[in-house]
Amino acid sequence: MNDRPYVICADDDRDILSLVALRLERSGFDVATANDGEEALELARARRPVVVVLDVMMPRLNGVELVKTLRADAALGDVKIILLSARAQDTDVARGLDAGADAYLVKPFKYTELAEEIERLTA
Amino acid sequence: MTSKPPWMALAVGAAAIGGYYFLPSRGQSIAYVVIGVGSLGCFLAGVRLNVPDRLRLGWYVFAAGFALEVVGDAVGSFYELFLNREPPTPGLTDVLYLGGYPFLVVGAILLVQRVRNTLNHTVLYDTLAVFLAVTLVQWVFFIDRYNHAGVTDRGVRLVDMAYPAMDVILLVALGQLLVRYARNFAFQSLLVGVGLLVAADEIYAMKTLSYGTPRWLDLFYLGSYVALGVAALDASAGKIEPVVVGDVPRLARGRLALRGAALLTPPGVLLAEEAAGHRVHMSIGIFGVAIALVVMLRFVELFRDADRARAAEAAVRRESETAQQLLAVQNQRLRELDTLKDEFLSSVSHELRTPLTSIQGYVELLREDEGNAMKRGYLDIIERNSERLLGLVADVLFAARVLEGQLRFEFQPVDVGMLAHQAVEEARPRATRAGIELMSHDGAALQVDGEPARLSQLLDNLVSNAIKFTPSGGRVEVRTSGAEGFVRIEVSDTGVGLSAADRDHLFERFFRSQTALERQIQGTGLGLYISRAIVEAHGGRIGVTSVEGEGTTFLVELPARA
Repeated sequence: MNDRPYVICADDDRDILSLVALRLERSGFDVATANDGEEALELARARRPVVVVLDVMMPRLNGVELVKTLRADAALGDVKIILLSARAQDTDVARGLDAGADAYLVKPFKYTELAEEIERLTA
Repeated sequence: MTSKPPWMALAVGAAAIGGYYFLPSRGQSIAYVVIGVGSLGCFLAGVRLNVPDRLRLGWYVFAAGFALEVVGDAVGSFYELFLNREPPTPGLTDVLYLGGYPFLVVGAILLVQRVRNTLNHTVLYDTLAVFLAVTLVQWVFFIDRYNHAGVTDRGVRLVDMAYPAMDVILLVALGQLLVRYARNFAFQSLLVGVGLLVAADEIYAMKTLSYGTPRWLDLFYLGSYVALGVAALDASAGKIEPVVVGDVPRLARGRLALRGAALLTPPGVLLAEEAAGHRVHMSIGIFGVAIALVVMLRFVELFRDADRARAAEAAVRRESETAQQLLAVQNQRLRELDTLKDEFLSSVSHELRTPLTSIQGYVELLREDEGNAMKRGYLDIIERNSERLLGLVADVLFAARVLEGQLRFEFQPVDVGMLAHQAVEEARPRATRAGIELMSHDGAALQVDGEPARLSQLLDNLVSNAIKFTPSGGRVEVRTSGAEGFVRIEVSDTGVGLSAADRDHLFERFFRSQTALERQIQGTGLGLYISRAIVEAHGGRIGVTSVEGEGTTFLVELPARA
């Protein structure tokens, strides 16, 4: 256990997952990674994160479903959630935010955008 | 085409008949024949003049009957003038008169066939019913009476009975003419002619039994001749054309009355005979049964037609239901295809963006870590090109949505001046690199209702184009202003310009100008297509003015926020 803020990242694309994890670790977060929604949910139940960064299109449990599950969970309902997706249409963004995500970033993204969102949400 | 009826011929005929009554007896004998021959001449001349070859048969057959009547008259007159006595009965005159009737009847029926040349069941049954009713009346009141009139000579009695018998068929012919009534002068005149002939015969049949033929009856015969002659002289004689009637079985009121009258004839005759104290004929019963049978057959036919029509209607309805179901299935399939295509576009977009995310992300990371300036430069190039690739993906998908009519904008108040300023500032590094002077002239607050991201895209497209097509040392100016309910954006350059031919196609999808191709300036030909779509979705318009070699100005007008 350490005092760095705990962040969970989930993405089925391992390259992107490593990239985001590396970036967040460099920024001083304690990062756990998951390859799908189920894994991410298990991680979150094991230890409550400050922020979760989720891909939308994931096997087993997709990002939007995971957002709904988290929001319905008594212990995790108020965790900050950022969706990160290559699904760029307005309807996709609206679906993500309606499900209860705090932010929706479209891939490809600049790391500064993600950093700013995390900072805004954890301030 | 309407032409004047032959009033002259009619007037001459009427005058001749009038004159006839002022002549002495012998003169009348001559005049009678003259009027008959004159009318027959008119009839033949009229047929030659007005009736086309293919329609003449009926007219000529009718004329043959007409001629026999006139010759009969002539023979009678010959007896009166030169032998000073009435022609013998039975004799030559009777043969001529009675011989003429079949020709008149057949001629009339042939003429009528032109009016409605399908002899369907309706006509057949109705004609038969009328024929039976007329025959009954004729038999009871006109023919059979000779059997009891005390005329002893059998030949005389037969001939006297033959006239009313002939009238039966002539009456039926008249009925045919009435049933198929055609609205023109020739037909009407023909009807009057045949009608007068029948009426005269009926009166004659009654009068011969009592007190001989009155002179006034000649008016009917002569009138009949004149009417027939005039009928053929009228131009409409050649145009007794089929009347168009529907094939739908129906209970026409006139025909219903006709059938009713036929049915009521036997009981009517029975009552009349009973009232007159005559012996009641068995023939009335026989005719009654026959008429009832014919009318019943007609109604059976009618019901069968109605059933057939109902069956046809049901078949058509079934067919249309099947077609509707097929249409519904096809619609459903189209909707599914549409969804599939949407899904495909989304997937393609997603699949292209995902690898680009990794490329851009790691390049960004590498560049931050890279100390070597030259290597950082290489990474810049990779980054710039992946940006371009990303822009291309976005443009292609956007264009696909424009084409689908699927653009959905969420409007909000936007300051166009500010957006233009941002677009210029973003493009400034590129302009500087290309050695181009980039200037912006912003008007006061210029508010429109629009989607900021799309309007930025529009401005970026126009500014990037201007920079791309302007050689080093040139100038690009962006000017925003407001006027008369519009916000105006002008992007002008001192670039290569456009030919008139290029200007016409500039806003079409995938269009590349000749200069762009010649100078190998990169692009997909989607930028201006998308720009126009964005402008039009905002209710505005976009245009271009250009002088080749001197420069180009794009002008956008968007409705100002009210």
